[in-house]
Amino acid sequence: MNTETATYAVSWVSEQSTGTRALQQEQQLNRFLAEVERRALRIAEIGVRNRDDALDLVQDAMIKLVRKYGDRPSNEWAPLFYRILQNGVRDWHRRRAVRNRVMVWFGRGASGDDEYDVVAAAPDPTGRSPDEELQNSEAMVSLEAAVQALPARQREAFMLRAFEGLDVAGTAMAMGCSQGSVKTHYSRAIHSLRETLGEHGPEGSEDG
Amino acid sequence: MDEMRKSDEQIAREAKALFDASVDELDAATLSTLNQGRHRALEEARSPRGELLRWVPAAGVAAAVLVGVMVTLPGPGPVEVMPSAVADMEILLGEDSLEMFEELEFYSMLDVIDEGDDVG
Repeated sequence: MNTETATYAVSWVSEQSTGTRALQQEQQLNRFLAEVERRALRIAEIGVRNRDDALDLVQDAMIKLVRKYGDRPSNEWAPLFYRILQNGVRDWHRRRAVRNRVMVWFGRGASGDDEYDVVAAAPDPTGRSPDEELQNSEAMVSLEAAVQALPARQREAFMLRAFEGLDVAGTAMAMGCSQGSVKTHYSRAIHSLRETLGEHGPEGSEDG
Repeated sequence: MDEMRKSDEQIAREAKALFDASVDELDAATLSTLNQGRHRALEEARSPRGELLRWVPAAGVAAAVLVGVMVTLPGPGPVEVMPSAVADMEILLGEDSLEMFEELEFYSMLDVIDEGDDVG
């Protein structure tokens, strides 16, 4: 009887401990996602140029991170989350390209749909609400268009390093490539942005 | 070299400042949608349905592999299985069968004769 009681007690304590650990992990995940979600949304939005689609992509990335990698060390969450998100953005572009090809096949696609027009894709500078007017500041519009015009890998490297603040190792993990490749993509991205933005670039937005 | 690096850092820093400003200016509706999406993600991961769904891709792959193996591998060689009705007819119509019936008639007659002798 004493043995049974002890076994039950150990089992109960073990279950309580497991439950507490799971709860703590969920709270940690919640904090991590709450901290990262807004920047992730903007990064996804710059990637796909559509807020609703970006919201869907961010939520999918959240679900996949929690399901597949929730039990991984918390310092790996950021690169893993962004890896999932970047994969989602790439899949979005693939699906869009296929859809455009199908539409062209049926004679319903606009010619040159696959080609990205920086000016056409930039947010409407006139804005439709006070919030949008603020958001669509000239500098951000220029920067966003310039970042969108970068090749995909350069864009990923730049946004993860500069916007999200991941280090080279974390960016390499998120992009699924070597650290050397990250440095190359990032360097080329900076060079392209300097060329594209020139004197109208982001300079002055911070320092005057 | 140092000048170049500083310039790169400056571009990145200024771009980050603009990006952060655009993040801060996200509207309330978007923030609410993000918040709901986060809670939904945590709830889905907690539900047993989510656990089951994890195995769906694996089950799909297993089924595809099974079908592939069935289609690819050669099956057993042709086995001559005679349909039962045909076999029955062959047995009934074969010459041996008629002889067997005649012999059965003969043996039954012998039995009757033997029984008569015993009585007599």
